[in-house]
Amino acid sequence: MKPTVMIVDDSIFMRKILHGILVEQGYLVIAEAASGIEAMKNLHTNHPDVILLDIILPDSNGLDLLVEMVAVYPKSKVVVCSSIGQPLIIQKTLDLGASAFIQKPFTPESIAEVLQKLRD
Amino acid sequence: MDMSPYRDLFVSESRTHIATFGELIVRLEDSPAESAVIDELFRHAHSLKGMAATMGYDQIVAIAHYMEDLLSRVRSDEFLLLPPLADLLLEGSDALARLVEGVEAGTDSGEDTSRLVERMASFDPAAEYQPHHPATFSGSGTEIPPESPLLDLHQFRQSDSFKSIRIKTETLDHLVNITGELITNRYRLKEAVRLSDAAESQESLRQLSALLHNLRDEVFKARMLPFAFIAERFPRLVRDLARKQGKEIHFQLFGKEIELDRGILEDIAEPIVHILRNAIDHGMEAADERVMAGKPGSGTITLTVRRDKDHVEISIDDDGRGMDPELLKQKGVEKGMLSPEQSAKMTPQEAYQLICQPGFSTAATVTDISGRGVGMDAVRETVQSLSGSLTIQSQRGSGSRFVMRLPITVSIIPALIVQSGPIEIAFPLNVVSRTVELEASEIIYESGRPAFILGDTALPIRSLRQAFNLLPAPGPESNPQSVIVCDVGSSPAFSVDRIVSQQEIFVRPLRTPLSHLKGVSGATITGDGRVLFVADAGALA
Repeated sequence: MKPTVMIVDDSIFMRKILHGILVEQGYLVIAEAASGIEAMKNLHTNHPDVILLDIILPDSNGLDLLVEMVAVYPKSKVVVCSSIGQPLIIQKTLDLGASAFIQKPFTPESIAEVLQKLRD
Repeated sequence: MDMSPYRDLFVSESRTHIATFGELIVRLEDSPAESAVIDELFRHAHSLKGMAATMGYDQIVAIAHYMEDLLSRVRSDEFLLLPPLADLLLEGSDALARLVEGVEAGTDSGEDTSRLVERMASFDPAAEYQPHHPATFSGSGTEIPPESPLLDLHQFRQSDSFKSIRIKTETLDHLVNITGELITNRYRLKEAVRLSDAAESQESLRQLSALLHNLRDEVFKARMLPFAFIAERFPRLVRDLARKQGKEIHFQLFGKEIELDRGILEDIAEPIVHILRNAIDHGMEAADERVMAGKPGSGTITLTVRRDKDHVEISIDDDGRGMDPELLKQKGVEKGMLSPEQSAKMTPQEAYQLICQPGFSTAATVTDISGRGVGMDAVRETVQSLSGSLTIQSQRGSGSRFVMRLPITVSIIPALIVQSGPIEIAFPLNVVSRTVELEASEIIYESGRPAFILGDTALPIRSLRQAFNLLPAPGPESNPQSVIVCDVGSSPAFSVDRIVSQQEIFVRPLRTPLSHLKGVSGATITGDGRVLFVADAGALA
């Protein structure tokens, strides 16, 4: 069975690109969300294996959202995807329960590499 | 990875970010304490940077990066978002808009953005900030160049933005459903005609008309766009012009969700810019002059859009110095536009309309009063060509109000078809205020010219033939004579041979060379396939 993914990003552009990359690499994108509220709603109905989470969202603090996701559905692995690349922030997301961090701009290869590590 | 499939998405999403960014900056200048707005600005710059990095557009990345950086420093209270920084950020968003345009066109704009990036990187608020001194206003004789270079920034690229529209899926669904039903109905009609079942044909025809009516309504809906579509740029325009003039102006916009036909929106943007410009340049006093007059130093311009049945009213109010009807009349007399007697009879409302007369005022003679006239004749012409009306109210010392009343759609309008000698022509019903049948005894002659009494004035009658420079009718005038009275100009009564009918017409615009014809504004095709011109009553009167 294909691993399932939810993409959380307020940019349709980003969601479409990620969608394209993920499908190509054999993942099933079962949900897309443009906001924190939408993401939580989707998380309650679908339980994706992986959540790709942009931490800058219009309606919520991405770090709070990360904590909530990890607390409610610990089985879903949250991969934070952001262009804020300061080591302090990256470490903080990992401390808060993120399984990995993908630095934007990403390439199909960088995504493949991170997701493969998660499956191993 | 081939990114080209994502280019269009990049362009449209970037545009949204850039437009919102500009609006927010202007809003923030009005109330700098809103930290939520700073967060949002930051988010737009950040998203844009991320998207551009993914696409590999380095110039965009660099500018967005420094915009993001400056905003994060505002966010951490390193400095405030004061006008010099707002200017720099707006300059940045303008540069981004141009770069995105280049991306869309598939060409490298060749723009060198390195200096802008450098200025952003080395921005020092302490060095840049100069206390804001409003320029003193010298009253009369202040020359405003007719086309200030600033205006170029705001030239509307209508041809681009109006080419495509977003349509609600729901509206398209309705169109599909109605079309489907029309097809079904056509078969039913065909079958009924084959069997020549009169009752069934009648019923089917009735249904066909009803469906066509629905289809028309839905197609109209598909053409509707919210006023916001053109209004996004106004706050920025007001801000930039006000700052250039050293005036403090607060801009309010109400009713931007109200929808109008996209054709009307396209045409009305420029007139609104004219009125806003005039209000800022001439209507609004400088801060010190306002304070002396006991008003708040900062002026207010309010743009309100209201829906009134099948019309939309766009009003622009300013709390500036207002206009003096007596001075306007005096100037009209001086310019030979009206006689002293006419001027004496004029109401203030009529006096304000003088500023819409061509040649009433030019940029070279701008004064605090007559300066209002710049381009106003063009404004009134545009409004009338859209079958709308323009009214002006003013109160000396407390401000002016310009109200444009426009139909929501223009393509299909009720019209009065009249015939005069060889011509048959359609008058839009909304300019016809009445039709009268005059017996020969009711026609009076003033200095040899026919006229009739309407209310308490003698209204001169012009024959429509004459208005179109045709030869007079060979025989005697018909009796009674049909006259249509329009709601425009100074001699609005036209005699015609006969009133043919009243019906809904679909108005098509005229293209060159026909568009140069005086007295007609469009054409329509009648049920029996003939082409009729649509009269431009304002130009005839």
